[in-house]
Amino acid sequence: MKQDTIRKFVSLGLLLILLVVFSLTSEYFLTPANIFTLLREASIIGIVSIGVTFCIITAGTDFSTGANVALVSMICANFLYYTGLPVFIVLLIGVLSGAAAGCVNGFLVARLRLPDFIATLSTQGVFRGLTFVFAIRSATGVISNKVITNPDFLLLNGDIGGLYYSTIAFFVLAVIGQLVLKRTKLGTYTYAVGADRKASEFSGINIGRVKIAAFLISGICSAVGGIFLFAKLGSAIPDLGIGLEFDVIAAVVVGGCAFSGGRGDVFGSVLGSVFLVVLVNGLYKLQMHVSYQLIIKGAIIILMTIFDSVYMDLMSKYSRGKSPRAGEAVSGGAQ
Amino acid sequence: MSSRIVALRMEHIDKSFAGIPVLKDVSFEIYKGEVHALMGENGAGKSTLIKILTGIYSKDNGRILLNGQEVKITSRTDAKRNGISVIYQELSLIPTLSVTQNILLGDEICKKGIVDGKAMRKRVMEIMDTYSLHVNPDAIVETLSIAQRQMVEILKALAFQSSVIIMDEPTSSLSTSETELLLKIIRSLSRQGVSILYISHRLEEVYEVSDRLTVLKDGVKVAVLEKEEIEPKKVIELMIGKGIDETVVEAEMRKSCQPVVLELKNLSKKDVFEDVSFSAHRGEVLGISGLVGSGRTELLRCIYGIDRLDNGQVIFEGQVMKSNVSHNIREGFGFVPEDRRKQGFVPMLSVCKNIALVSYDNIKRRGPFVAGKEEMSLSRQGIEKLDIRPNNPHLPVGNLSGGNQQKVVLGKWMVRDLKLLLIDEPTVGIDVGVKEELYKFIEALAAGGSTVLIVTSDLKELLRVSHRIIVMRKGKIFKEFNTGSVTQENVLEAASGIEKECAADE
Amino acid sequence: MSKMMAKGFAKKFAKPLILLAMVVVMSILQPKAFPTLNNFVSIVYAISLYGIMVCGAIYPMLLAGVDLSIGSVAAMSGCATVMTIIKYDYSGKGVFLGIAFGLLLCIIVGLVHGLIAANFNVPPFLITLASLNLVYGVAQLVTNFKTIGCVGPPIFSVIGVGRLWGLPAPVYILAFCTICSYLLLRHTVFGRQLYAVGGNKEAAALSGINVKLVTVIAYILSSVCAGIAGIVLASMNQQAVATSAKGYEADVLTAIVVGGTSLMGGEGSIQGALFGALLVGLLNNGLRLMSVPSTYHLLIKGICIIIAVAFDIRSKRSDDKKTEGKPLFKVKTSAGGMN
Repeated sequence: MKQDTIRKFVSLGLLLILLVVFSLTSEYFLTPANIFTLLREASIIGIVSIGVTFCIITAGTDFSTGANVALVSMICANFLYYTGLPVFIVLLIGVLSGAAAGCVNGFLVARLRLPDFIATLSTQGVFRGLTFVFAIRSATGVISNKVITNPDFLLLNGDIGGLYYSTIAFFVLAVIGQLVLKRTKLGTYTYAVGADRKASEFSGINIGRVKIAAFLISGICSAVGGIFLFAKLGSAIPDLGIGLEFDVIAAVVVGGCAFSGGRGDVFGSVLGSVFLVVLVNGLYKLQMHVSYQLIIKGAIIILMTIFDSVYMDLMSKYSRGKSPRAGEAVSGGAQ
Repeated sequence: MSSRIVALRMEHIDKSFAGIPVLKDVSFEIYKGEVHALMGENGAGKSTLIKILTGIYSKDNGRILLNGQEVKITSRTDAKRNGISVIYQELSLIPTLSVTQNILLGDEICKKGIVDGKAMRKRVMEIMDTYSLHVNPDAIVETLSIAQRQMVEILKALAFQSSVIIMDEPTSSLSTSETELLLKIIRSLSRQGVSILYISHRLEEVYEVSDRLTVLKDGVKVAVLEKEEIEPKKVIELMIGKGIDETVVEAEMRKSCQPVVLELKNLSKKDVFEDVSFSAHRGEVLGISGLVGSGRTELLRCIYGIDRLDNGQVIFEGQVMKSNVSHNIREGFGFVPEDRRKQGFVPMLSVCKNIALVSYDNIKRRGPFVAGKEEMSLSRQGIEKLDIRPNNPHLPVGNLSGGNQQKVVLGKWMVRDLKLLLIDEPTVGIDVGVKEELYKFIEALAAGGSTVLIVTSDLKELLRVSHRIIVMRKGKIFKEFNTGSVTQENVLEAASGIEKECAADE
Repeated sequence: MSKMMAKGFAKKFAKPLILLAMVVVMSILQPKAFPTLNNFVSIVYAISLYGIMVCGAIYPMLLAGVDLSIGSVAAMSGCATVMTIIKYDYSGKGVFLGIAFGLLLCIIVGLVHGLIAANFNVPPFLITLASLNLVYGVAQLVTNFKTIGCVGPPIFSVIGVGRLWGLPAPVYILAFCTICSYLLLRHTVFGRQLYAVGGNKEAAALSGINVKLVTVIAYILSSVCAGIAGIVLASMNQQAVATSAKGYEADVLTAIVVGGTSLMGGEGSIQGALFGALLVGLLNNGLRLMSVPSTYHLLIKGICIIIAVAFDIRSKRSDDKKTEGKPLFKVKTSAGGMN
């Protein structure tokens, strides 16, 4: 069985167990209100995780998502506060700035050849710093977390019969993301680059472009998620989204993506986001110490990535037929 | 049956590396629908020629013409676009994608970026039907066997409408039945007008399937044989060069009277080698010959202890050896690996540190500390003994020439009390002068009482240094030469399958 | 002077010159605040902490890995030490037990990192990132978000606050750690093996080096040095809290990379890394004096890492460019590279 299929089954199983346990121990758990709230939270992590899924499938990562969320929110806040531009335009600007951030990441990785994790860890600092630069300040220069009261903007918080817009957006984007991944040329190339970089090169795939596309998608997803988060909070605080990147990566890992690349998909990350949110919410309802979240998330990431490594090792050992001989399989054969 | 229309022609190709000519005025053509074998010893230039055809190397001189038109090829994708595909041993498939996706990778059928899965599948099925080559189009490549993956590679080449498919040692990892299937496919492809350039040392296959055959020797094209002219002994003669101003290279095998120090009993490793048993004596140089895929390198690695055996025992000086490299090194083992760049030395470290790398138990001082002076004098010993140039022990080994790098690799063993040295292809890419030096070192080692096991594809080299020669084929010991005189032809015949199973025939 | 001589001169003196230039610039920009004794003392304290962590964090990086968890590990060890001291009523015995316990925890964490990195195909940045959060969570849990004050006993305070001949104790601890690391890297078998594994893992394994053991020890050393820094920090601040060393890994990483250690392993030295620590310490100090808020620091440091790593990668790539056939391979040794 494929690695990501097994992992999805395991995660789904764990999720079901969690749902059962939590609904038994807390009577408020399975109420519609709670479910919709849960989904709303999952949407924000989830929307961002759609983009990060692309990055991880290319055997890369994106650690700048949290900072990107904050930056986009701050930029939107500035436009909403200082200008009278229609909300729709402001949101567009926000998404574009998220895309620009993604391009920066793409440039660092594709052109300057920085390793993904260093590039995005650095841009995390840069974007977070820029958020502070753009922070709305009062006359004395102190950061004032101005609450945005623009009613058109606050529409984003609306819902249809309880189901929040953000959740709808999440599922729509997830479907689009999955289709792009599975049905487009870009999606095929994304998997190819992650699974075997060399072979992709030989087949004429432009690796740089695929990486840049992945970061672009991640940047846009961070922007959309960030906008919903901003709308939910009502004000753009510079600390927005701290720790989000870790949650997003946890969601993608739980969803079955392997860091070695070439495996996993968006639906898995949807599962992972829901799982994470249910876990956190359940722990909270069980009144467990809030630090357990970090501990459990960290442990899950470690355990699942170890599993991936072991499983794929076993798979390659038992693959049908003979494998190319170790020492003598020199490319180009005999001289 | 092939036509006489020239599909691919290479004219007056020259290529030199750092002043050393590797291809000299090579002209060569393949007809449409022909299966053409390219033969030659290691170092003859076959690999270089192929790399020029696929754009990995650039030619110094000459032209490449496809269907009469001159083409410029600077990359593998260039070559593909021009209709030349190459199938190497290390296949270039994406393991997590399906067969269909792999076959049409880079050439997907899509509308505005959206892939038309149905149309792609249909196209793939069409190709499979046209060439009678079927693999499950929805299977994920990593679940397929090597033979099946090769077929996917072939289909990929066909999807790109390649007029010339180059196959480099395609059968070295295949079983007998898989090989037969492949040859059948090759014949069918040629009937369809696809030209196949077939490179292999497995002469029996070559004879079975080729329409014509070109022999390269030392960078020069020495002959082109038509099917009727293809005769095993003749080809080997041409490859090795008897009769063209060359003295016959012949060696006398000597059975040793010294005691046996190394005994291999029924060594087996699944799918790699089986039931290998032989022994080696003190002071003996035992040459191990065989084609790519015969299991020689793996055998050596298992003896050394870096890879595990499935079965069998390695007994050295009466002791059963385990798969523990540092223990074996202490017992006097040494290993010169096949790829010196990737496995032999640490490029960023100095000559001194590389030479001392395995000898720290000898140059420790007060616990974990290294005695710097002794380390340096040890390395100078090595530099002197092997005449490493430049003789500055502080230079990073990555900056030395290939020959001197190999000397460093050898040097780290030769400054020790070596009892058994395992060598794998020691002189690849090394110039003649240094080669000769290395042979002298090996001889000196043996004379001093060490045992040497040397794996090499260079037949001259094999005959030059070996006291006895063992030939492996498809993972088994096929023949042992331990008396009388042996020529390169003898070895090649044994290794490449001209001689049928004939253990009794000695 | 010929071009070669000029290059050699530049290489040898580049680092001290850069430091000198920074000191001069900052004295000019902040003539009242920068060149004061108090300020230098605070710089010294900061650099001591980074420096101690650098002494350990360099090991995984020489193996082409990384340890992102050092900030959390430092905090954890500080908390563990302080809580043990308090439990044993501020006695001398408590101090010894506390330090031993704190360091023991670090050894365990490092052991886990090393075992995973050695035996599984999991990227070290991921392991240590997960660990960063996990350990942080444990520290939060155990301290319940509280700051644990610890004034004394004198045996403990002397670590962070004590002075000898005018210099603060942490400097001596830094000196000790630096000397140990220097000796370890340059003069022991382990050091030789470490560079070999980092430079060419396969060749090292074929030379009988126990690659797994080397990996495990490297990560243990990294965690232990982080632990030592955490204990010094707790003593300095006379308190321990889960967030005490939050974000330190960024500075330490920057210091090591700027100091010439390659992310791809096999190249780097303690001297270089310490130079990097000095640089980062001065930079932090300067930014603070100029009232630049702490998040701009992230911005600037982020850019610094990018530049340093980009240069490192470019110099390696120009060697790897598609050269044909069997030519000479040129290895560029940057200043501070081990030879």
